[in-house]
Amino acid sequence: MKLTKRTLLTGLAAGLLSATGLAGTAYAQTTLTVLVDNSADTVKFSEALIAAFEAKHPDINLELETRPGGAEGDNITKTRLATQSMNDIFLYNSGSLLQALNPERTITPLTGEPVLDRVADSFEQAVTFNGQVYGVPVQPAMGGGILYNRKIYEELGLSIPKTWEEFMANNEKIKAAGKVAVIQTYRDTWTSQLFVLADFFNVQAQVPDFAEQYTAGKAKFATTPAALRGFEHLAEVNAAGYLNEDYGAATYDDGLHMLTSGEGAHYPMLTFAIAAITATYPDAIDDIGFFAQPGDSADSNGLTTWMPAAWYISASSPYQEEAKMFLDFAASVEGCDVITEAVGAAGPYLIDGCGLPEDVPPAVSDMLPYFQEGGQSAPALEFLSPVKGPALEQITVEVGSGTRSPADGAALYDEDVRKQAQQLGLPGW
Amino acid sequence: MSKAGPIVGGIAAIVISALVFLVPFAFIILTAFKDRAQAAALDFTWPASFNLWTNLVEVVTTRNWMLVTAFINSTILTVSSVTLLVVFAAMVGFILARRKSRWNPLVEFLILAGLMIPPAVVPTIWLMQGLGLFGKLHGLVLIEVAYNLPFSIILYRAFIATIPRELDEAAIIDGARPLDVFFRVILPLLWPVTVTNIVVQSVGIFNDFTNPLYYLPGNQNATVQLTLYNFQSQFNTSYNLLFTNILLITIPPLIVFLFFNRQIVAGMTAGAVKG
Repeated sequence: MKLTKRTLLTGLAAGLLSATGLAGTAYAQTTLTVLVDNSADTVKFSEALIAAFEAKHPDINLELETRPGGAEGDNITKTRLATQSMNDIFLYNSGSLLQALNPERTITPLTGEPVLDRVADSFEQAVTFNGQVYGVPVQPAMGGGILYNRKIYEELGLSIPKTWEEFMANNEKIKAAGKVAVIQTYRDTWTSQLFVLADFFNVQAQVPDFAEQYTAGKAKFATTPAALRGFEHLAEVNAAGYLNEDYGAATYDDGLHMLTSGEGAHYPMLTFAIAAITATYPDAIDDIGFFAQPGDSADSNGLTTWMPAAWYISASSPYQEEAKMFLDFAASVEGCDVITEAVGAAGPYLIDGCGLPEDVPPAVSDMLPYFQEGGQSAPALEFLSPVKGPALEQITVEVGSGTRSPADGAALYDEDVRKQAQQLGLPGW
Repeated sequence: MSKAGPIVGGIAAIVISALVFLVPFAFIILTAFKDRAQAAALDFTWPASFNLWTNLVEVVTTRNWMLVTAFINSTILTVSSVTLLVVFAAMVGFILARRKSRWNPLVEFLILAGLMIPPAVVPTIWLMQGLGLFGKLHGLVLIEVAYNLPFSIILYRAFIATIPRELDEAAIIDGARPLDVFFRVILPLLWPVTVTNIVVQSVGIFNDFTNPLYYLPGNQNATVQLTLYNFQSQFNTSYNLLFTNILLITIPPLIVFLFFNRQIVAGMTAGAVKG
């Protein structure tokens, strides 16, 4: 009796072990894996792109894998690159974050590939490292500015502000009407940086060589009045009492809810929020508009733009040719159309010949004029300079909630930036 | 004091534990019923419309029925890791408690080191790649066993010390071989602490998130906790689907616990009152 019980247990254990052995599957033909972040939008258009690509190239099989975004996603990407276990094709940020991946050793350069002829120069700049170009754009460009509720603007008869004074005057009227003028959500600290980062077009309008001087360690936020304005804006909206009462505890999701439900009028944000609004509050998307962050002068009002993430090819992949074929497809007019069909367009594409459909949400069509009339948009500082301090979001929370003065906050940020510039080994720091 | 005191205290304790344990669970269930817009508010309200079935279908079919693969993987992972853990930890604990030798301090040091020194991810991956185990489910089983072994050994060793040595001697005199002594005399006596081990380690391994995330890449290797990332991301989260998923992956451990509740409690108290 006892013996049978024992053999039964041994058999069970052996069976389980062999089952685990079988679960690690074997591959057939040419199968490439693609690693993307897990936002619902990215997964949706990646699946569409893969389906369209596989229809065109039946001999290649692409498999989609997802990873978390944010800090955890950075860790996974870096771990896999360091252990040569990275997927053949992967999606990752462009700009200053790319530099941290050590692209010379881990990513296949695309310099000289015909696909780059179609990619906008402004984007190429953001994925260039030591003279080599590494990626092609995944999505349309984004803008940083202010999302606003068009219904409130209509009710109160307001017009789009071109200068900061007009913006504050609008805020005063909105507050008088009993609504929240400016939504801030400091529980998600990254949302607090927008007034500073999206002000960069205005900084550059006044100090055209700020980015160069800043990288060289000569220009500082605290000592450049134009650059300090971003920090001052943060403090001003708080001092005037325009913020929602729970700005310290509200989250990004709360912010979107307040904006779409008409509780609040303005939400400083990047335009990727349009995708989240479309998914969560589809009925309200037509009430949401967008304008660039107003500066000191109405003549030089323009948009600060953010570059989208890029597709990269892992240097350790054995399927370089097939991977390049996918990148070539993703960055083509055909690819744009597949993306537009899958998730709609969130802004102008950075690929030659890619157009937008007629029926884009108002927030997107508000954004287009800035790109069309020349000189009305400029990339954010993080795409022009490798220097971006890691503590900016904590400092902007302090300044935005009134516990630190703008000048003090800017000086503290300059100090934060100095450490990072020294780590990168830049001259002049 | 009259009799009312303990009764009032008891009722208060029941109410408080009900609040602490049932309210979050009710929140999960309510959110799983909502549609996406209402769920995004994350408040404690009655669902405006009942979408549990559509949410369930969407959660299960997302990413090519990933949740089903994940349940199979997690079950294999949990059952095989815990089986190996129990057998190995009991064996080590038995030897450590019974046979005193010069090596004991070294072994004890290694156990403590295993408890205290945090494992590094990248070197572990290199080692696994060298052994050809990286990205394989049985590789992760070995990792889980290695990471959790010290804790199990400590539980077992303390318990084995309370089992009289005379039992071993009696078995040997009756003609039992060493393995028989362990498997037929000692292991059955360890039932109470084995139950503790099974419960603690199963919950830990089933709910493990970071180890599968780093050591087990690939869609076919997903475990249940990783499926949560299908619905939650930095800028765009569908809370109704997220909570439906949480509900789904919380139910199996709950059912297991309800079924084995009597045995678990009996196992724990059986050891408690033994002379």
